[in-house]
Amino acid sequence: MSEEIARRFREILEAREFLIVGKKVARVDALDAVLGKPLYTADLVSGKTLYVKAVRSKIPHGYIRKIDTSPAASRQGIVKVLTHRDIPGVNDAGSLISDRPLLAYEKVRHIGEAVALVVGESLEAAEEAADHVEVDYDPLPVVTNPRDAMKPGAPRIQDRDNIVTHFKIRKGDVEKGFKESDVVIERTYRTQFITGLPLETEIAYSFLEEGGRITCIVSTQNLYDVYNKVVKILGVPGEKLRVIQAATGGGFGPKSDETPIDVAAYACLATYFTGKPALAAFSRSEAMTVQCKRHPFEITNMVGARNDGKLLAWRSTLIEDTGAYISKGHLVIGRATFHCTGPYEVPNVWADGYCVLTNNTMAGSTRGFGAPQAHFAAEMVLNELAEELGLSPLEIREINMLRPGSLTATSQKIEDDGLLKCYQRAVEASEWEKRVREIREFNRANKVLKKGIGIAMLYHGNTLGPEGDDFATVITYVERDGKVVVQTGLTEYGTGALTSLAIVTAETLGLPLSMVKLERPDTAAVPNAGPTVASRTTVIGGQAALDAALKIRATVAQVAAKMLSANPADLEFRDGLVKANGRTVTWNEVVNQCFEENISLRVVGYYIAPPTKWDPETGQGAPYNQYTYGALVAEVTVDTETGVVKVDRLTAAYDVGRAINPLGLVAVYEGGSIMGQGYALMEKIVHDDGVVINPNLHTYVIPTASDTPDEIRSIIVEVKGSMGVFGAKAMGEIPVVLPAASIAAAVANATGIYIRELPLTPQRVLEELHKSRQ
Amino acid sequence: MKAEFMVNDVKYVVEVEPNERLSDVLRRKLGFVSVKEGCGVGDCGLCIVLLDGKPVNSCLMLAYQASGHRITTVEGMGDGTRLHPLQQAFIDVGAVQCGFCIPAALLVLKHLHDTKPDADREEVRHALRSVLCRCGSYIRFEEAFKQVSRR
Repeated sequence: MSEEIARRFREILEAREFLIVGKKVARVDALDAVLGKPLYTADLVSGKTLYVKAVRSKIPHGYIRKIDTSPAASRQGIVKVLTHRDIPGVNDAGSLISDRPLLAYEKVRHIGEAVALVVGESLEAAEEAADHVEVDYDPLPVVTNPRDAMKPGAPRIQDRDNIVTHFKIRKGDVEKGFKESDVVIERTYRTQFITGLPLETEIAYSFLEEGGRITCIVSTQNLYDVYNKVVKILGVPGEKLRVIQAATGGGFGPKSDETPIDVAAYACLATYFTGKPALAAFSRSEAMTVQCKRHPFEITNMVGARNDGKLLAWRSTLIEDTGAYISKGHLVIGRATFHCTGPYEVPNVWADGYCVLTNNTMAGSTRGFGAPQAHFAAEMVLNELAEELGLSPLEIREINMLRPGSLTATSQKIEDDGLLKCYQRAVEASEWEKRVREIREFNRANKVLKKGIGIAMLYHGNTLGPEGDDFATVITYVERDGKVVVQTGLTEYGTGALTSLAIVTAETLGLPLSMVKLERPDTAAVPNAGPTVASRTTVIGGQAALDAALKIRATVAQVAAKMLSANPADLEFRDGLVKANGRTVTWNEVVNQCFEENISLRVVGYYIAPPTKWDPETGQGAPYNQYTYGALVAEVTVDTETGVVKVDRLTAAYDVGRAINPLGLVAVYEGGSIMGQGYALMEKIVHDDGVVINPNLHTYVIPTASDTPDEIRSIIVEVKGSMGVFGAKAMGEIPVVLPAASIAAAVANATGIYIRELPLTPQRVLEELHKSRQ
Repeated sequence: MKAEFMVNDVKYVVEVEPNERLSDVLRRKLGFVSVKEGCGVGDCGLCIVLLDGKPVNSCLMLAYQASGHRITTVEGMGDGTRLHPLQQAFIDVGAVQCGFCIPAALLVLKHLHDTKPDADREEVRHALRSVLCRCGSYIRFEEAFKQVSRR
């Protein structure tokens, strides 16, 4: 009965106009934030605590001959020093693949790898003692270039081949396609290591509860990854650990990855051995050294087209440097390879993607997950091809973009016209033709400053697809005062996605948003909800929240129907009231009645995305259930004397499927654009023979308010998707994907030079200008 | 040694170590946890508080140096019952993402608003340069300032 009513309510919801969805509402956590109230992990430390510091390798590759902890252990204020021998459970901290020990043994494989832990009564004592743990190494040859690492006979990083994955796409007959092409070009593009850099570094605080359970408060995206790993590291039964996510100061991927597991394990080990509260937090330089970074790629694209601009063949070779441990590298290469042609239809595609181990620091999950690299190379080569063909950047895109009925590189049929709509809106809003004319005039009049305009487009396979089980759970319950509580293992770390879950809940129950509360993610209270990654929280988590809210509504409706002598399915839920036949009861009256009748208003919502199918031998199939589309126009001014590139304006159009929270979307559009601009123009973690030489914010510079474009135009396109809640598509990561491609295109338009390596620092731009003048 | 200062109009007398940073005293001894730390060396600006109305990095200042001065943190921005207009504007324009830099960004803009309520865009951006926001809410902050100065 109840299920039937829930189904009926779903139909009603989707048929009528939304009350809150798509309206301008404030985030549920905004008020607390402006009052300085949210409690991040460091804010929850009370009273005395121990401090844990890791002893980190000072060489990138070598055998560990001896670890002498005694000079550190005998120092004042030091409680304990731990090495791999002391780990009570399993010495394995790899988030998905068990290739990474929590504490190194036998050998170290990258600079800054943790070798021992020092537990002290003060941070200063722990830090100083960490310098006194003596580790003797037998240095090994350091391999930092993935091309070298791929050669037969190259020194092995791990006890396995350095090539972790060879990911393939085989579509059509690429040789034939090149033969039939009038123009064929081949270009190589390179991208750099950057760090996601959440401003709150990795941090965990643990303490012992009565009854012997360790509680660990942690800054993380993935509650259950931390829980599952730390239980094994401690070697304790599951009920002996509880993990709670505190307010989290940024995620951007790294907080879903390896390092939150590390700090949680450090703190919990200290509490395990001493019974005392313990805090483990990364310093900024520690975070910038060991936090999983964005993978550098070398991408060679060979593309062929007819004279009329139609693409006939595309060959990509993608080499991805994942550093010394795999982390998510085997999945990032998949996403990059799937998207290697950009959002264009090519009948013949051959792609080889390699995930390669080196002695560089680990790369892993970072906002965009391989898409920024793939799209940079795809958009650049398309522009270079257009120039060869005498076509404009717009013409080549109009000819080749994915439209309804097009087949992607994996031969998946595109159903909707989201890309075309984004393209049209971005071109129109940027006043492309007018700007092209103005730029021409400006450049004629100016010798030093040169302006340029560029466009880039994307498609982005939604949520996990082949990258994991795409499910979510949400627990929703109603309190006696009528407030509805939503609690899930999905986490808030800045994206605003949990506000979307609250909006979906309020919408479904006809309540104002202020009646919905979010409870902290806590393994003692909620089951695993899957990872909070891949821009999937609104899309997939929203479906689980809808499922839960519909169940609550169905139960409440049965009670209200009796009170109103009406049919449950005919009830209207609106403005905190339940109505039928001109009669009304308030939400609180019905909730009260449920409590009186001992009717439970606590449910579990669940959703799992349809499985995706593709052939790993050919890459052919439908790896994702739906795609987000986008187009970004960048306008820049290049100072040809200093090499400085200024971004004047960005016009961003993204097909979000359904805008659940438009105000939140604008912040994500702008923020992602600015983060992407840092990737395009300024950011690079530099490894010198494996050693990170700029792990600080004065030599690794990220965009400030002054670097922000004069204007970012955010255009919301809504072409309903098939999978997400109310048609929503993935958005969290998307705006970071295109800035590099569109800014580099604009620089090429301004200077006539295609700069094929990121970032476009003043130095690089000057060098390229200089080369071109020779 | 003793340090004596006003925080958000309340007088505090605290025993501090000579090498104790103002940020640590505010956070740990007095409980003003809105003061964040992002680097500890003055690069990120998340620890900014107002000292006699002017922004300072509290991680670069020793607690005793603040003795005799007036300190404002975001906890003291409203008047106790109502939000400061900038706080309300931050909510209205959707400036909050992860929230970690919000206290510092608010204080920097409060100083600008107190000293130059009609500051233009370049001046707003210049002031905000002292606070890093990795979520990239800079344009939202700017919008919030604009909204308040229009009134």
